[in-house]
Amino acid sequence: MSRARNTIGTWIGWTFFADLASGLSLTFGYMFSRPVTMQYPDKEKWLPYSRYRGHHFLKRDEEGEIKCVACELCARICPCYCIEVIPYEDEKGNRRPAKFEIDTARCLFCGLCEDACPADAIALGQQYEFSSFSSRDLVIGRDDLLAKPGKAATGGGVVSARLNTKKDVLVETNERQGYNWWRNIRRR
Amino acid sequence: MELIVALGLIVFKVALLIAILLLLPLPLTWVERKIAGHIQQRMGPMRVGWHGLLQPVADGIKLLTKEDHIPAEADRFLFKLAPILALAPPFVVFVAIPFGETVSVLNAEITLYVSNMNVALLFVFAVIGLEVYGVIFGGWAANSKYAVLGSLRTCAQMISYEIPMGFAVIGVVMLAQSMSLLEIVRAQADVWNIVYQPIGFFVFFVAGLAEAQRIPFDLAEAEGDLGAGFHTEYSGIRFAFFMISEYVIMLLVSVLAVILFFGGWNGVLIPLPPLLWFLLKVAFFVYLFMWFRFTFPRYRYDQLMAIGWKVLLPLSMANIIITGIIFS
Repeated sequence: MSRARNTIGTWIGWTFFADLASGLSLTFGYMFSRPVTMQYPDKEKWLPYSRYRGHHFLKRDEEGEIKCVACELCARICPCYCIEVIPYEDEKGNRRPAKFEIDTARCLFCGLCEDACPADAIALGQQYEFSSFSSRDLVIGRDDLLAKPGKAATGGGVVSARLNTKKDVLVETNERQGYNWWRNIRRR
Repeated sequence: MELIVALGLIVFKVALLIAILLLLPLPLTWVERKIAGHIQQRMGPMRVGWHGLLQPVADGIKLLTKEDHIPAEADRFLFKLAPILALAPPFVVFVAIPFGETVSVLNAEITLYVSNMNVALLFVFAVIGLEVYGVIFGGWAANSKYAVLGSLRTCAQMISYEIPMGFAVIGVVMLAQSMSLLEIVRAQADVWNIVYQPIGFFVFFVAGLAEAQRIPFDLAEAEGDLGAGFHTEYSGIRFAFFMISEYVIMLLVSVLAVILFFGGWNGVLIPLPPLLWFLLKVAFFVYLFMWFRFTFPRYRYDQLMAIGWKVLLPLSMANIIITGIIFS
């Protein structure tokens, strides 16, 4: 009985286009909901999570000396052999890298160099905008690596920014939580 | 002297109409893309100008500077003729469309229509039927399987939709006792036709959707299964002609729906200028077209035929009979 009534109800619904109307009302609601689009290069820039593995950077110690001791463990562990280190002895008698080159075109950003480093000298940062027209530009030397931005203490978030790959500036953010991609998606 | 003034006025009105109709697709594409974006929770065009307002201009420049490509095995004459054939009839139709009664400019009453034909409705349906030739020739001349399939579908679609559409408006003609669009609107001064003719409006609107070849009845261009349908092989300005034609027809169906069923420039409750009322109603219908486009899937070919012949045609017949019995 109830099933028959349901069938009749369905037919009545079809007659008055209930299904089409519900579809229309759904899209109408979506039309006035917030877009999920992140206007990446123009207005917003996503600062990745702190665990994100982006461009490498070399750290300095308290005296401003490079932390790296040129042990070449990173070059040894690197699965794609993209790190090249040549050591030298500086005036204080410390072992330091004379040449420290990372071929970011070959690098797969696994972070093993960071794990292997005994001096906590190399780490993978959060910079992700370093595409280039020439693969030669992607071979990064020691001084460039020292100048690369470190990790921001806070997690990811959307910050209003202008795309600025020249200055290598990452924007600090106050948003503690990472960018929740799904927060704007309506669910029923 | 009076003759010259009258002639000059007509020429001016026609020129203005052509200019408006040629330029209107530009903002309409922007509006359509914005609506599409927001319905899909995107933003639509954002980068050219404020909120992408100059996007249609950029598109126009792109279309004008693109290579005008004609396929090697194409019928060159028909291929060049088709976009013009598709473009001209929708413009011609607007000669018979009234946009209001009169406005007074410089102490002179100027009518808001180019001509007040006594068979305007017949003229509209006769001329709009010609548009399909452009589509058919375009698909045939391109010598591409997708284009031919699109054209074939257009033929079948037009035959099954022109008839219910023509029958659907007979009820309106019976109510107004006239085929002049002006008289039809005047007859709706008190009560709009939608009250008396809900079935007629439904049939007219569905057939209008098919006439404008918009989703859910855009089988002729069906991006999903036919590439781009009849204009697969067109590029550059010829493609733009087809697009302009499509938008003008969409506009035309909206205007016809407003004139025939929604009281034209007769307002309700809020006293606004008649022309503004008319444009608001047309804008609502244009929005409805776009809203439908991004809500509904495309009907299958056989479903389209079934709706046309088995649902709309009997409905429109029944509408004529009921109207005849009640209002005789």
